[in-house]
Amino acid sequence: MKRSILSFFTVVSAILIGFNCNETHAQRQQVKTNTASTSAKPKAVGEAAAKGVTSGRKAERKTSATDKIPDRPEKLTFPPFQYDPPNPSAYRVQLKSGPVAYIVTNRELPLINISILVRTGEYLQPDGKEGLASLTGYLLARGGTKSQTAEELEERLAFLAAQLSSGIGETQGSVSLNLLSKDLDEGFAILREVLTAPRFQDDKIALFKSQTMQSIRQRNDESSSIEGRERGFLAFGETFWANRYTTAASLESITKADMQQFHQRWFYPSNFIIAASGDFDSEKMRVKLEELFTNWPFEGETSSDIPTNTAFAKPGIYIVNKDVNQGRVAIMLPGIHRDDPDYFPAVIMNDILGGGGFTSHIMNRVRSDEGLAYSAGSSLPGGVYYPLTFTASFQSKSSTVPYAISIVLDEVDKMTKQPPTKEELHVSKRSFIDRFPRAFATKAQVAGTFAQDEFTGRYAKDPLFWDKYRDRLDAVTREDVQRVAKRFLQSDKYAILIVGEKDEILKGHPNHTVKLEELTGGKITELPLRDPFTMKPLGR
Amino acid sequence: MKKHFYTLLILCLSISAIPLHAQQVPVVETNLSNGMRVLMLPRKDEPMISGGWVAHVGSANERPGITGIAHLFEHMMFKGTPTIGTTDYERDLKIIAEQERVRELMRDEEKEMRAMYRRGEIDDVQKPENFTPRYRELEKQFAELIKEQREVLVKNEFDKIYTANGGSGMNAFTSSDMTAYFITVPANKLELWMWMEAERLLRPVFREFYAERDVVFEERRMRTESTPLGKFAESFESIFWESHPYQWPVIGWPSDIPAITKAQADEFYATFYAPQNITLILVGDFDPQQAIQYAEAYFGRIPRGKKDAPDVVTLEVKQIAEKRMYAEAEANPQVDIMWHTVPFGHKDSYTLRVLAQILSTRTGRLYKGLVLGPQIATSTWSHPDHRKWAGLFNIGGEAKESFTPQEVEEAIYEEMEKLKSEEVPPEELQKVKNNFAASEYRKLSSNMSILMQLVFYDGLGNWREINEAGAKIQAVTAADVKRVAKEYFTKENRAVAVYTRKKGASEKEPAPTKTSETTSN
Repeated sequence: MKRSILSFFTVVSAILIGFNCNETHAQRQQVKTNTASTSAKPKAVGEAAAKGVTSGRKAERKTSATDKIPDRPEKLTFPPFQYDPPNPSAYRVQLKSGPVAYIVTNRELPLINISILVRTGEYLQPDGKEGLASLTGYLLARGGTKSQTAEELEERLAFLAAQLSSGIGETQGSVSLNLLSKDLDEGFAILREVLTAPRFQDDKIALFKSQTMQSIRQRNDESSSIEGRERGFLAFGETFWANRYTTAASLESITKADMQQFHQRWFYPSNFIIAASGDFDSEKMRVKLEELFTNWPFEGETSSDIPTNTAFAKPGIYIVNKDVNQGRVAIMLPGIHRDDPDYFPAVIMNDILGGGGFTSHIMNRVRSDEGLAYSAGSSLPGGVYYPLTFTASFQSKSSTVPYAISIVLDEVDKMTKQPPTKEELHVSKRSFIDRFPRAFATKAQVAGTFAQDEFTGRYAKDPLFWDKYRDRLDAVTREDVQRVAKRFLQSDKYAILIVGEKDEILKGHPNHTVKLEELTGGKITELPLRDPFTMKPLGR
Repeated sequence: MKKHFYTLLILCLSISAIPLHAQQVPVVETNLSNGMRVLMLPRKDEPMISGGWVAHVGSANERPGITGIAHLFEHMMFKGTPTIGTTDYERDLKIIAEQERVRELMRDEEKEMRAMYRRGEIDDVQKPENFTPRYRELEKQFAELIKEQREVLVKNEFDKIYTANGGSGMNAFTSSDMTAYFITVPANKLELWMWMEAERLLRPVFREFYAERDVVFEERRMRTESTPLGKFAESFESIFWESHPYQWPVIGWPSDIPAITKAQADEFYATFYAPQNITLILVGDFDPQQAIQYAEAYFGRIPRGKKDAPDVVTLEVKQIAEKRMYAEAEANPQVDIMWHTVPFGHKDSYTLRVLAQILSTRTGRLYKGLVLGPQIATSTWSHPDHRKWAGLFNIGGEAKESFTPQEVEEAIYEEMEKLKSEEVPPEELQKVKNNFAASEYRKLSSNMSILMQLVFYDGLGNWREINEAGAKIQAVTAADVKRVAKEYFTKENRAVAVYTRKKGASEKEPAPTKTSETTSN
């Protein structure tokens, strides 16, 4: 049962600055940031006009303080705001035992947070062993260690109220521990065992496999899961490594020996980057970390490069038929690498078009003007290892799906035809620049962001990235925005994915003449659902 | 499955395992001259301020016919003021009045269409094909007025002003008990926050009211109608609550959302958005002295409401028989059980929270009893839900392949019987309390997290629980746990939803043996 709390709009991703460490995952998410809009400055209307407000209250105009309140917020003046981002080199430590660590002290609460990032990932799974990374990652923390069974370890962690978690994703593994600072020594002893001598207890392997099977059975239940998956296939190609899913067969074939081997190949100190923050003396923490990684009992490997052989779908409309009364739409185009020289103009372009929530063009037209969707927007995340996609997405009732698509295509097209207004550019820039400090709001974020930059190579390539961030954004011109719009928003390349009730969507709405066939040349391909157990298309 | 909402710890815990120190959250409380409450917590962690306000109104304050109005109203609060959102306010007002005139005529037609529906002449009052000719004509007239209004509209200007000033995370939510609005702004923009929030409270203008109803309908489709369990969860809750207004969904019944009028929204605003029904909350880098001065100047000018908001008088009647719902859904077989318990702040609510923790987590009794031991479930959940006016306790589990939801249900009752017959051992109780204690610290990690706790506690009726609940939880005894287990977890006090998988065209589930056969080759 889900609790009924409705929010004004859905923030699907918690990305604050439009791009960050998890860019590879951002691909399948909508990204909400902030923005701009076109408008002339409204005519000032004073208190007298307020009397006519049907739904408002008449203000009492008695106090002197009230008299000073201006009719428009532009008339307010604010104290200056100075902010300098933290400097990564102030926290960076190269440990003799291998890893680079970012150590950030914070004495406010008696808590310590340690995260170990590991150079491994799903892309390293052997063919036919899909699911191995996920199993290995989960069971490091959940499958016991040399000296403690899984049950003993869980009970001990629970009694200490410590949170230990581990996982391996597409291009990164991690082990994290959050605990009370008084328990640091015991916590580190546990960490050492988890990292060097995991037990991979048989019953826990069986349990996690059966839980994974449960989620495999659910693959066609939610239209959003179907959408997320098919987006990936269209964006990167059927055979790309990130589109290899765990199947019933691959799951069954994974053995304890596979996990032990996968673990020992990659969980090696020179593959680690550490983020440590919290209630400790930084020099003492350095010494403890040095000890934690010294005398490793096995020798690991250096991972190969992440394959980048993506293939974007042929232009056209792709429909997955699903019996729901609201269609989910993703309009995709080939995207950008985060190191691209056009990256900053592209961030602003997307922000104005659809990334910026309520003042973006797409939200304004699709939601506010027409009431066609609750959530509507676009994302253009920069890929760390390979370009991701531009994706405009929304959900609308079946009959208005074609009309809403036509509106979005229209807005996308407009971005290429004319530069944004001065005001739009200004609002977009200010939004990124003024909320920049939020990227480092907590000490855990400081350590985490810098560790990610180290991990992804940004620190080596561009050590002053955060220092220069605001200036680089500020340097973007209206012409830059239109130029990148032309570069990325090419109308002959659209791959449009729709998940919903096919016949109703094709029928359209009596009040709108738009038909799906007329959009983007009209090539409509029906994609079959996939067999959840094999991920092969059904009915073929 | 469910998120638990914990509190901050206050007193020194003299417990063997985790001696934690006092951690009062030094919230400053003050009241403005018009009765509006202000809660402030200065924190220098980052140069930002998280600001929000909670109106003590939710769907429980609605009545049949206008269900969903609290939530729709929340959406309307982003539409602007006389000076924000339009280039010509006087013309804007005239157009809004004209729109209302046309809508009134449309409502006459809607009444007729409902009559046609009752006589069986049309199958759905909301299908465009079923609209009367007069209604279609009026629809066109209305569309013209919308076009005209766009000439003077400044789209989403409220959002734009915040955005251009570094505001982030602007959002709002509505629950059965409260409606809250919040944002984070740079530390130098305290006065901007005061200006913006006071202005929309003082004189909101409900532009684009009818387009926004369509947005809410799409929200309903997204959350409730097109998700595997959404519509069943809605149905289950309305079966559970017999007399209490919690029986209708926060988003409203489909027939009510399009029937809500602007006049009803105006009345709702006058009743529930009066200053004495609202609490302002600020957490972050600001000077409280200055904040109070601003608050009095900006919010203090809003006149106190003539009447206080009416109390919710309907109490849930005592359930006299078990209720069961059997549903076929596109979901794994599972069982979901709810028992009537107590509202927020009730003396037993703390024990029920401890009880929930004894049952949940990887070392909890449900996981051990259903997932690890006999292995009949793959996941379980337990969640106390103490709302403002009444409460419930939810337990459920997803059945493992080859087991039925009924077997999971029986195993849950077995665990509950153990709690009724034997006291929880001291070590187990201590483990749970240690986790409550540590979470007191963890919840203090960011401005927004503290703000949201104050929003919830104040919205439920007592913000001081942020400092007081911790001690009450630590005081819970094993005998208390045994007593509440016996008192609330009875057959006649529960409702049970049993879900089995609906067989669709897409599911061709291979028998588990077949899977292993193919893979063992």
